[in-house]
Amino acid sequence: MISLKFILNGKQVTVETEPSIRLLDLLRAKLNLTGTKEGCGVGECGACTVLMNGKAVNSCLILAAQIEGSEIVTIEGIANGNELHPIQKNFLKYGAVQCGFCSPAMVLSAYALLEENPNPTEEEIKDAIAGNLCRCTGYKQIIEAINESAKELTTR
Amino acid sequence: MMPLIEILTPKNLNEVLSILSNHDKVLKIIAGGTDVVTGLKQESNRFIDAEILIDINHIAEVKGIEQRNGKISIGAATTFTEIYKNQIASKELPILKKAVSTIGSLQIRNRATIAGNFVNNAPCADTVPALLIYNATIEIESINSKREISLQEFLQGPYKTQLKKDEIVTRINIPVPPKTFVGDFYKLGRRQAVAISRITLAVLMELKENNINEIRIASGAATPIGTRFPDLEKFAEGKVVNDNFLRSLASKIGDEIIKLTGLRWSSEYKLPVVQQMFYQMLNRMTKRIK
Repeated sequence: MISLKFILNGKQVTVETEPSIRLLDLLRAKLNLTGTKEGCGVGECGACTVLMNGKAVNSCLILAAQIEGSEIVTIEGIANGNELHPIQKNFLKYGAVQCGFCSPAMVLSAYALLEENPNPTEEEIKDAIAGNLCRCTGYKQIIEAINESAKELTTR
Repeated sequence: MMPLIEILTPKNLNEVLSILSNHDKVLKIIAGGTDVVTGLKQESNRFIDAEILIDINHIAEVKGIEQRNGKISIGAATTFTEIYKNQIASKELPILKKAVSTIGSLQIRNRATIAGNFVNNAPCADTVPALLIYNATIEIESINSKREISLQEFLQGPYKTQLKKDEIVTRINIPVPPKTFVGDFYKLGRRQAVAISRITLAVLMELKENNINEIRIASGAATPIGTRFPDLEKFAEGKVVNDNFLRSLASKIGDEIIKLTGLRWSSEYKLPVVQQMFYQMLNRMTKRIK
């Protein structure tokens, strides 16, 4: 067991854990943050996407010991209290949520994109979510929601 | 289920080398983990016996991109995102950049590293053909040795390299090709993103007047490992570029691949694709030069 220190959704945390469990399992099983989903478990579907030091990463491909000292953001850390983040609001407004399994990860991929590139083209949006599979295939609404969020966030 | 194993996080290269010199335990190096973690989870025989993982993400000596003495030196644990965004690499090594852009997804490129792409020598490693046409060499260190060899030499066979148990690849060094060279990279996967490549091709060439002064050709995925085609390159050098010649060159790459792989069930499909894509690449590149 190791004592792991990192920043989780803005708060410093310390967790006792086996070093070689996956970040995905640490979040879901140890920390009860079940918004992060497991799809394929091999880095292809992106359902387990979280932000690590501001970058979208697959939490199924990162081992607990590797996040020591990092800043991790999960879907639970995106809203401001009860106030949803504009990306989340637009996912609802544009009907970009069908079964919802890919949604937390889609929102986080969109969040990472807009932090880095506030005015993405449609191609740039598609590239940013190319690693997030939506089995319901509602990509059009997802892209619209991200596009609208970009507009809102830059005009504020 | 993930096996419970120890993970060491050394702070500098010397510490890594000293850990690697301990032969009592089965050690594996981990950086981005896109290969190691899936390997452990799926109980791949390349990782199943691992007792200790050495995380090299915090080792400055194996990170970052520098330009020195006409060469670009890329740290082994530099991520694909770092390479893609790097100004020197973008300007001087556009074919590597193009290869990098085709890898996995953003999430994968944010973690996966350049040496991780070739240390296991999977035939489908997307950066290998690009590194081969740039004549990349790699620096390898152990506690009491340091050597630099060409990437082609390093890659011995499918999933086999020259790397010894106590060694680590530290840097990839690439001589910057003269501005007169043009090149291109092609990847065929089953879809646009997050696809294992079925065919990759990389070409770098220099024309003098209308003659091929130098040409470097490499493939991946369609061949057992990423490889250059020395016979084909020799055949092409000095030849006058015209449509007939480009077509004959494209047809010959098919013969060269069959020499390496033998006829396979997929040859009937793959070879015409390789030949046609190679022809289109040559055609575009020679038009760009003219």
